[in-house]
Amino acid sequence: MSHDHHESHLATYFSVFMVLCVCTVISVVADVVHFAPHNVVVVVVMAVAVTKALCVMMYFMHLKFERAWKYLLLAPTIILASAIPFALASDVGMHYYTTDVPQIHEYERQAARGADGHDTPAPGGEHH
Amino acid sequence: MSHGHAAAPALRMGIPIPNSKLAMWLFLGTEIMFFTAFIGTYIVMRMGSPGWPTDVNVTHIRIWAGGLNTFVLIFSSFMVVVAHDAVLQQQFARARMAMWITLWCGVLFLGIKSYEYYGKIDYDILPGHIPESDRQAMDKLVSNLDGKVNYQLSALFPQIEKREDQLAALDEQIAAGKDVERGTAVKEFYSAYLNIKEHVRNQVSFAVPFAELDKLRLDEHANPPKLELGEFPSHHGGGEHHAAADPHSVVGEFQRLEQDPKIGPLLGGYKIERIRPILYGNLFASNYFLMTGFHALHVIIGLILFAVALCKNPLKSSDAVFVENIGLYWHFVDLVWIFLFPLIYIV
Repeated sequence: MSHDHHESHLATYFSVFMVLCVCTVISVVADVVHFAPHNVVVVVVMAVAVTKALCVMMYFMHLKFERAWKYLLLAPTIILASAIPFALASDVGMHYYTTDVPQIHEYERQAARGADGHDTPAPGGEHH
Repeated sequence: MSHGHAAAPALRMGIPIPNSKLAMWLFLGTEIMFFTAFIGTYIVMRMGSPGWPTDVNVTHIRIWAGGLNTFVLIFSSFMVVVAHDAVLQQQFARARMAMWITLWCGVLFLGIKSYEYYGKIDYDILPGHIPESDRQAMDKLVSNLDGKVNYQLSALFPQIEKREDQLAALDEQIAAGKDVERGTAVKEFYSAYLNIKEHVRNQVSFAVPFAELDKLRLDEHANPPKLELGEFPSHHGGGEHHAAADPHSVVGEFQRLEQDPKIGPLLGGYKIERIRPILYGNLFASNYFLMTGFHALHVIIGLILFAVALCKNPLKSSDAVFVENIGLYWHFVDLVWIFLFPLIYIV
């Protein structure tokens, strides 16, 4: 693999850098300017993040030009990496059973207080 | 292996990249799993916690700091790739310059991050320190004031250990006329602390004077006004005491002490914002510091690697693989931040 004169890929790298900068600006603007409900902003921002990640991986880390071994390395990694969120999602992320934690009680208390427009004093006597 | 048969192609073992590059990729694979563990748990915990703090005035998350950090890291990734390209083209001076720029970008990133961490520490947004309800906030204030009382008394009487002995010594000192001004200030501070402590313990509003608390506690049919936490002053882009809290609330009482000429200085610049209750605040702080802390640790390791590379003087063509591997590591660090930035600052 010894080329005496290696082709410079600077132009490509610079274009990718510009794309990354534009994507960053889009993310920041999406947060600062309220152009859509929060869920849409989340989707947009995560899509932008994935795009940036792909740019870095494909071009800066040179994966676009590497061979099939990249899948051999990354496939088990991705599978194992997804294990934790999937394992915890059903227990911690979603609540299909009644949770009995102090924060839920406090959350309901604050919601009730907010609904009453601060007329009801906060009930005391929470055990801690 | 292939001595007799010129027609048969030589068998090739393994993947056609240098061993060190394969090793770096395997390591990056494990690092991906490492970070997705923290990011995955953050996402899952957040999904399951209705009421997670999102107000940036409460969490003290500044989008401009995150955006600037993102730009700094992206620029440093670009510089790394320029360095590698320069090494391949045998332009070693340019390669060294690019690596220096990358190193300083990393230092800049750490500087901005430490400014953010300072803000968090200043407001006591640390795991385990954050009250999550009004009562916890009041208890935290009592505990913090107890610490300040200890500090003042121990400064006056470093040899005496027990609080009651220190107070007795304080009375003696005042009666003897020594250091009267400071002594009476500390004594008043202690009384104010006791006042707050007893009102919080009995959950009775400050409208009821301290002397009546005992009587009320013993009276079964008494129905004194309940103690409220009070409104916190807005401390972002507004007047200092925008809307003064109800003077009979905890925050109001603290503000009264702040303005007292004798007790105020003894409070040592304590920010009342530190006791603002944040629902799920401790989970938030744990996740925040784990994710960004481990990322910052990886940045530091990357900077050490760049320092090692820059110690290779002169840089040679054979160093191309080393530079490429460091570049891979640094790109991974950038990759993690690309995901951390929206997850922490925007979502």
